[in-house]
Amino acid sequence: MRRFKVFTSLVKDSFDIITRGSKKYHLWMGLLTFIMLVGMYCYSIQLDQGLSVTGMTDRVSWGLYISNFTFLVGVAAAAVMLVMPTYVLKDIDFKQAVLIGEGLAVAALIMCLAFVVADMGGPSVLWHMIPGIGVFNFPNSMLTWDVIVLNGYLFLNISIPFYILFRHYQGKESKKSVYIPGALLSVFWAVGIHLVTAFLYQGLQARPFWNNALLGPRFLASAFAAGPALIILVLAIIRTYTEFKIKDKTLKKIAMVVTVAAQINLIMLISELFKEFYAPTHHSESAYYLFFGLDGKTALLPWIWTAISLNVLATVLLTFHKLRNNFRVLFFSCFILFVAIWIEKGFGLIVPGFIPGPYGKIAEYTPTGIEIGVTLGIWAMGAFIFTMLAKTAIGIETGTLRYKK
Amino acid sequence: MSNSNKKWFSLNLNSSTKQTSASCGCGNTAGDCHSKEEPELSEQEFLAAAVDASIGEETHKDGFEQVFDVKMDRRSAFKKLTASLLIGAGAVSTSCSTLAGDDSKEKAQIDWEEQFKGNYKLMSDDEKKATVNRLVRSYQLRTGKTISMSSQNAHKDVLYGYAFNISKCQGYMDCVTACVEENNQDRNSQMQYIRIHEMKDGKGFNFNEADDNYYHEVPAEGHFYMGTQCFHCDNPPCIEVCPVQATWREDDGLVVVDYDWCVGCRYCMAACPYDGRRFNWSKPEVPENEVNKNQHYLGNRMRKKGVVEKCTFCVQRSRAGKNPACVEACPTGARIFGNLLDPNSTIRWVLENKKVFRLKEDLGTEPKFWYFMD
Amino acid sequence: MSKHRSLYIVASYCFFMMILNSSCKHKEGEYHNVTDKIEMESKNYHGVDLSSELFLEDIEMIEITEGEHTFLIPERKGKIKGYACTECHSKPLPKMKGNEFKKAHWDLKIVHANKETMNCITCHNSQNMDELTSITGKSINLNNSYKLCSQCHTKQFEDWKGGAHGKRIGGWAPPRASMTCVNCHNPHQPAFDKKWPARFNTQKIKERK
Repeated sequence: MRRFKVFTSLVKDSFDIITRGSKKYHLWMGLLTFIMLVGMYCYSIQLDQGLSVTGMTDRVSWGLYISNFTFLVGVAAAAVMLVMPTYVLKDIDFKQAVLIGEGLAVAALIMCLAFVVADMGGPSVLWHMIPGIGVFNFPNSMLTWDVIVLNGYLFLNISIPFYILFRHYQGKESKKSVYIPGALLSVFWAVGIHLVTAFLYQGLQARPFWNNALLGPRFLASAFAAGPALIILVLAIIRTYTEFKIKDKTLKKIAMVVTVAAQINLIMLISELFKEFYAPTHHSESAYYLFFGLDGKTALLPWIWTAISLNVLATVLLTFHKLRNNFRVLFFSCFILFVAIWIEKGFGLIVPGFIPGPYGKIAEYTPTGIEIGVTLGIWAMGAFIFTMLAKTAIGIETGTLRYKK
Repeated sequence: MSNSNKKWFSLNLNSSTKQTSASCGCGNTAGDCHSKEEPELSEQEFLAAAVDASIGEETHKDGFEQVFDVKMDRRSAFKKLTASLLIGAGAVSTSCSTLAGDDSKEKAQIDWEEQFKGNYKLMSDDEKKATVNRLVRSYQLRTGKTISMSSQNAHKDVLYGYAFNISKCQGYMDCVTACVEENNQDRNSQMQYIRIHEMKDGKGFNFNEADDNYYHEVPAEGHFYMGTQCFHCDNPPCIEVCPVQATWREDDGLVVVDYDWCVGCRYCMAACPYDGRRFNWSKPEVPENEVNKNQHYLGNRMRKKGVVEKCTFCVQRSRAGKNPACVEACPTGARIFGNLLDPNSTIRWVLENKKVFRLKEDLGTEPKFWYFMD
Repeated sequence: MSKHRSLYIVASYCFFMMILNSSCKHKEGEYHNVTDKIEMESKNYHGVDLSSELFLEDIEMIEITEGEHTFLIPERKGKIKGYACTECHSKPLPKMKGNEFKKAHWDLKIVHANKETMNCITCHNSQNMDELTSITGKSINLNNSYKLCSQCHTKQFEDWKGGAHGKRIGGWAPPRASMTCVNCHNPHQPAFDKKWPARFNTQKIKERK
């Protein structure tokens, strides 16, 4: 009963803190709300008319939604890059950033679920997947594995920080015996979610562009580069606009993680390029389409070459200590790395997997306005959720939000 | 037209106007050209106008709104109840009242039951019959027309196989037309389960350079033709990946989809190496007079938007002993269908005596669709 | 010590065999490939309860046995409007030529092989126009005209007997009924002309672009 009282007071207090803030804060939330409303409107059109309002066709049956889903699973998994050093390696420098990272993971996971629902042809019958009242094709279908691991990870990332914040809200210390096992589990689980998502594509013998052994590890490497890059940018913003103290050392250490992951990502890219282009086979057609265009169809060329150049530039900049420790260069590199990996995992992975089709047909894919609208709406929703979570967490951590008996 | 009502096969010697339905002689290929006349009785006209006045849009869903994405709550049910009572009063004089107050209640009841039924694969025979009856009844309530839907299970000792003779195919595409008509496929997106590829002689079996969207006199000089569709693999990658088991392989070898159970994730489409599956990106529409009323639950019944569909080897025909529409329609006899377990069947003879091959054998999917040449 | 050793050897042997036997697909209904499945499952083939007879009810059929194949073919003589030929061809063919008889079959061109191989009496028995004749002069019933075609077109004949050439009537279930040669091919002009395809898919134009 007492806990329930504390909980209700927490909810009230966090509601208070979320609805109050500086002008910039309100502008930010207002902008996000507007974009969310636009997204909702576009989605309603999609619900009404069916997925024909998107640019997807029978040949390219997954597009912008699944691209974003794949990328965001990686971002969510990267929260573990902060959890592991904090709880496992007991590196105190990461401690402040952990809650923010886990909040980011929660927001990213909710975005993932939203993208999946947006992509469904029949969202009203998704209850068919619930084991018991529906049919859950586990363990055959990798999608069911994905549902389990994503929801499990969401649960982990909600419950552990919630526990910690709940205790801190009451001014108490959080018990190690409760959150350490959970934190340890989430380290393995994070690797799991992104491997399982990679296996979704890796297991399809029908798509030779995806059906290779390096897809899973590549996903992990790019996730651990893009996710912490985003965390660095978010921490920088939090540092500037709130009283939450984040040491330079923390940022530099996360930057180290990003650098190593980006370098490994590049090495894997080189390995993939070698395999596709040294002795090209019929199975390399997708790679040819992506990097050089096929039969005059070159829609993805500007995207992938921008992504690769940004990726290489970011990795090079981050490799040099002098440059990486210069925060302006760091933030710039993190930003371009994030964008580059977003392109790489989205248009550089999902769409070329379908082109050319099983009989060599090249049907190019361009997202329509509605698709872009829904995508932006979901990103805005993610940012909105994250802002809410971060504001509450920061409030509790800085001591401004406390349970008053 | 479809060959099901033509028992005597008449090859059109030197005549090019055998098919009259999808492409009428005026050359208009997109939709119909209104050259058909449909005389209507005045009674029905009156009723139609009355119905239209009160529940206008419902009638335009002729022929394809069988599974419902509109749940009816009590309010709208009562609204329609009042509306239909009004119609009923007007319809008394015409003495053909297809709508009465009970009907919309019944519709709502059917809606409700259909929304919450389970996976067809797990249903007992009685449940299958019940859902089929509900669907037939709801079609009747909505359009006043009767269809026949079968829930025939797989026959024992049957494993369907298919063979395609590449030397014989001349690219006529009679099979495609017959398939579209037989299976009530969406006309707006011109969905076709079958694709006919025109390939150049001398280039070998080269799909990359094949043209599957030709429109000129066939057979074109220096080219050959072959067709692809769902191959009903014996080790299908598509059924493994479905998260809700909405698609599975039946005991007689057919790979089928329960359209009401499919959630529309399209994972199966990504997994199929043969481009066998199609998706209803928008609501499928078939003109009322072209609806094939001999249906099977797993086959050609009307689908809704947002579900996957595919060739079913015309389950409504093959489980009744008939050949699929494409086999029946092919003028050259390039398509051969039969029971692989019958040692005396023609399909077995082809497999044992002709040099057969399948596509993408190295993927281990074991398709039951073989190709051969004379 | 040696007792233990032999025990270990036996145990590991059993374990090994267990793994071997369980790793192969010996489960009910699982096969390595379709051909294995067909072989295994047709061992217990007892026939199907479906029949094509229903679909053949309104066609007059004849049963033929050629080689190891027995199947139905459509009866032909009743379908030819001009049969019986001897109603007009009361005299032998050479005597029919001349101006005292009505002109008939005047537009019949033979576009079949060449002049060295084919003329009217290659197939038709000029003494008795109700029948066909083989190369060796044996008479062939008009219902069994396939016997004539098979003299030159042996490969197609083999394929037709097996079911790989020509069209099947009715359904896939036994009894098998197939078209004969003349049901599709005009014996005087057997080749088929070109024509336009039955439909055109405009949606795919988008993909083409």
